[in-house]
Amino acid sequence: MSWQQHTSAIVSGFIGDWLENQGNPLAVPMTFLSQGLSVPEAHPAVAVTKPHSTVIVLVHGLMELESVWQFTGQPDANYGTEVADALADGASTLCLRYNTGRPIYCNGQALAGRMERLLGNWPVPVERLILVGHSMGGLVIRSACHYGVLEKHQWVSSLQDCVYIGSPHDGSWLAKGAQAGARILNALPRDYLRVAGEVIDLRSDGIRNLTRGDILAGEGELAGLVPDVRHYVVCGLLARQRNPINALFGDALVHEASARGDAQGRESEGGWALTASATFEGVDHLRLAHHGAVAEQLVEWLA
Amino acid sequence: MTEKTQTAQDWWLGVGHLVTHGVAEGAIKVQRVHLSIADETFNVLARIPVTRPVSEPVRALHHGISRLCYGTAAQLAGAAAKVTQQALPKD
Repeated sequence: MSWQQHTSAIVSGFIGDWLENQGNPLAVPMTFLSQGLSVPEAHPAVAVTKPHSTVIVLVHGLMELESVWQFTGQPDANYGTEVADALADGASTLCLRYNTGRPIYCNGQALAGRMERLLGNWPVPVERLILVGHSMGGLVIRSACHYGVLEKHQWVSSLQDCVYIGSPHDGSWLAKGAQAGARILNALPRDYLRVAGEVIDLRSDGIRNLTRGDILAGEGELAGLVPDVRHYVVCGLLARQRNPINALFGDALVHEASARGDAQGRESEGGWALTASATFEGVDHLRLAHHGAVAEQLVEWLA
Repeated sequence: MTEKTQTAQDWWLGVGHLVTHGVAEGAIKVQRVHLSIADETFNVLARIPVTRPVSEPVRALHHGISRLCYGTAAQLAGAAAKVTQQALPKD
């Protein structure tokens, strides 16, 4: 993974919507990858040498690349390969790379369409699809599911499991803070403070969507979890045991309640029906994407 | 030219486009910050009897030079941004 790709990912996270509108090559294009190779949706067999009937797709978060899934010191291992090893028939693991500065619903629509083409051309019939998303990736998965159902895509029928790892379903405190900070600065009478507010307002639509966890085109529009699919949530907490730091910052970027989607309502109230959730104390937001304990939990749930 | 070389060249064109746009937009914002912070000082000087007579002429001179410098930087960067925009790959 070159420094240029990392730079593109970070810049795309900040202003990826603008880069795309300008046709700037720094905007990260949406691509499926298998072991570092780009997987063409029309001919996936070119890059996937041994396709399985179970497909696991890993979707990274804001300003990240697929490298976020790599275990420390084991560049070829990630949650997908761990689950695949535990499954009797194995599984094919694909990573998605995308421009995280675009609005989440745009990435959701694009992912839904691309999965329809990819899995339609998959060399063997896909019997089980598992989607795993870290941070914003979880919201992109929910968005893709919504549009996949709406467009009556075939891939939805093979979708069996969705895993949301540190995903801010009800928004991230940092994104909310940025929005509030910009609003306050823009209202102040000093021009140098208003400029600071304007600079914060340059942030991408993707970051703005994280304020409330917006995943649909309409602002504030609610989307439930796709039915007949198992939904799992993984939360992280900065400190161990009961610590005020956890209440203040959650996993550093996302509070535990937001990662669980508590504001979406309970199942008994017509809200979310989670199959299971797990919280890992002492595991921060970034490490949630490549942590041994999380891997064990995913294997227990999915294998 | 190989695909890898072309991609690397496009990437640097993208950086050039971003930087020139950033300088063009940033120069105007930095000018606003500079002038508004300077105004705080000039407002104080305007209230002191000894400096009051010269504070306004100095403010006008300072702001004029600043606008000229930042404006020139913004114009040059804006022109460069247009050139890099034209050079970006079209696909």
